Amino acid sequence: MSFEPTIVGFLCNWCSYTGADLAGTSRIHYAPNVRVIRVMCTARIDPTFVLKALHDGADGVLICGCHPGDCHYSEGNYKMMRRYPLLKKMLADYGIDEARVRLEWVSASEGQRFADIVDDMTQRVRELGPSPIKEGLARDMAER
Amino acid sequence: MTDECKIGVYVCNCGTNIAKVVDCDAVAEFALDQPGVTVAKSYKYMCSNPGQEMIIEDIKAEGLDRVVVAACSPRMHEPTFRKALQTAGINPYFLEMANIREQCSWVHDDPGEATGKARALTMAAVRRVAYHEPLEKRSVDMNSNVLVIGGGVVGMTAALELAGGGSRVYLVEREDHLGGNVARVDLTAPFLDSARDVVTSLVTRVTENPRIEVLLESEVTSFEGFVGNFETKVVTKGNGAVSSEFQVGNVVVATGYQQFDASRVTHYGYGKLPNVITSFELEQMLRAGCIETKEGRPPHYVAIIHCVGSRSREFHPYCSRVCCMTALKYAHEVRSAVPGCYVSDIYIDMHAFGKGHEDFYRGASEAKTLFLMYGKNDHPVIRKAGPKDDCEMLIEVNEKLSGEVIEIPADLVILMVGMEAQADSEATARLVNISRDKDGWFIESHPKLDPVATTTDGVYIAGACAAPKDIPDSVAQARAAAGRILARSIHGTIEVDAVFAEIDEEKCSGCRICNDLCPYSAIDFDEEKKRSTVISAVCKACGACVAACPSGAITARHFTDRQINAQIEGVLA
Repeated sequence: MSFEPTIVGFLCNWCSYTGADLAGTSRIHYAPNVRVIRVMCTARIDPTFVLKALHDGADGVLICGCHPGDCHYSEGNYKMMRRYPLLKKMLADYGIDEARVRLEWVSASEGQRFADIVDDMTQRVRELGPSPIKEGLARDMAER
Repeated sequence: MTDECKIGVYVCNCGTNIAKVVDCDAVAEFALDQPGVTVAKSYKYMCSNPGQEMIIEDIKAEGLDRVVVAACSPRMHEPTFRKALQTAGINPYFLEMANIREQCSWVHDDPGEATGKARALTMAAVRRVAYHEPLEKRSVDMNSNVLVIGGGVVGMTAALELAGGGSRVYLVEREDHLGGNVARVDLTAPFLDSARDVVTSLVTRVTENPRIEVLLESEVTSFEGFVGNFETKVVTKGNGAVSSEFQVGNVVVATGYQQFDASRVTHYGYGKLPNVITSFELEQMLRAGCIETKEGRPPHYVAIIHCVGSRSREFHPYCSRVCCMTALKYAHEVRSAVPGCYVSDIYIDMHAFGKGHEDFYRGASEAKTLFLMYGKNDHPVIRKAGPKDDCEMLIEVNEKLSGEVIEIPADLVILMVGMEAQADSEATARLVNISRDKDGWFIESHPKLDPVATTTDGVYIAGACAAPKDIPDSVAQARAAAGRILARSIHGTIEVDAVFAEIDEEKCSGCRICNDLCPYSAIDFDEEKKRSTVISAVCKACGACVAACPSGAITARHFTDRQINAQIEGVLA
């Protein structure tokens, strides 16, 4: 059986979560691998949430927020945008492939875009295989 | 943590909307096995009265202290279920929803995969809800003043309604006169009432109303604050720019539409062929009482082409809603103004959806208008007539009903230009903090259940700024928005969400990183204590400060680290 990744999605309430809901009301089908956690704004996303998700077994983490300039809180997404490169750098140090964590902008009207991003990311993480953290943890548990 | 709770899990089938893909019974059975879950049920319609009653009775009978509803998006029914919890006597914030419809059953087709995902989302909600804390809603003052942006029929109607209810209204219009697009129209379809009468009576009533302040040649330059407590700045041009500031509790955005630019459709030769004109140019002729070609002759042949810029792959995919009836109105008006004139109406489909429209269509058909149907992507071709022809132009139509290519004469061609979002709709959206759809129209809170509200509390949209609309629908929305505002202003205060950030004084190191981070300047620094504090009424709960605090001293109510971490554990369990 082929590997099916589990991806944790953090979506801002105003743009991206609404965009994901729109994909639903428009019946746009996409891969079932992303499990969404709603936050009010991407600025709320503590980098430790991403690390925790990877630690707890996620094969990837998708963060979606409002397009630059469209943030419901005027500039929350810029804060995420600034945290993101630091987070990526840290993940690289851990040896985690950068394709496993992704930041995307999805507006409330972009249901199709959300579906496309989910499909694309699922495919890319599927190709990467299970997260090394998940495998490492499994190995540690077995040795214990 | 979950062990200490008595959680009830309710899995909604939403008729077959969820149940046809997700095995709801299996999700409920799975939930029942989880620690802390006392009750787990699957039911046809959780949001229905019996569904809510079931939850309320279980809370009372089983002593439930937490509720998970796995159903539609929380953006849809969270308020419904919170109210049910409140009715049952427990804090409404002890609810968590799992979105297994919009983000599961409607987007996945494999029952196994969809059920697996629904289970994970429900699990996340179960884990999260255990950490929910009781929260009390905040009460804030509601200023009864209202800002209305746009002085067209919609803006004026809303202003009158609001003023009638006792509000003071600031009506801002950027042109030097009121009336908007309707002021450019002669008669209205389908009852052929005069648009001028509609506009004039509104303008008179608005200008005479002591509670309405009309600001012409004015634009709103800033709009800050939150529901009930907005501060806005309006700049009036004219004799030098004058800036005024107002405090308002709500705003109605009624900025309408702009007409599609016909020169973008190169194949109809607008701007090149002198006798190809737009619908608004014909309105001008009708208002002046003189229909003639550029050469000053009354036309023998008038052709009307529908869907210019609308229902097209290249320009706008949507229907502009008013053009079909307006075209029939032209057929009627042209013939009464120019007796003996032949009118042909070249259309894709005749959209006669409204009250009196179908009768109007029949009337036009009986009055010998020549109807020709063309295919959506097979538009008619206009060319200049030769010297031997008795007309200015010839139009070739691949007529769909007869299957024949038909050539018709025309002296005057009227392009039914559609509606499009205002060129500056993006700026307006940013000003009042609302969203736009892919075509630039403002997005309503819910297209069916909450059509004039937006996702920003206190900001309402009405009329064609939200999508193409005719006058009756627009007026209905104007009154709806006014009604919503008046109903909420009546008590002088309103309840707002209990969600905001809090700083733990014990943990705060006084580093002040959060102070500059807050986009609303909602964080004060106590110089004496050397600690930061959140002004809860100003906080909008984005959580930027929470994630940035190096001491972990800031908590986002209802979005705490513990709650989100539990959710992460839940989706991955």
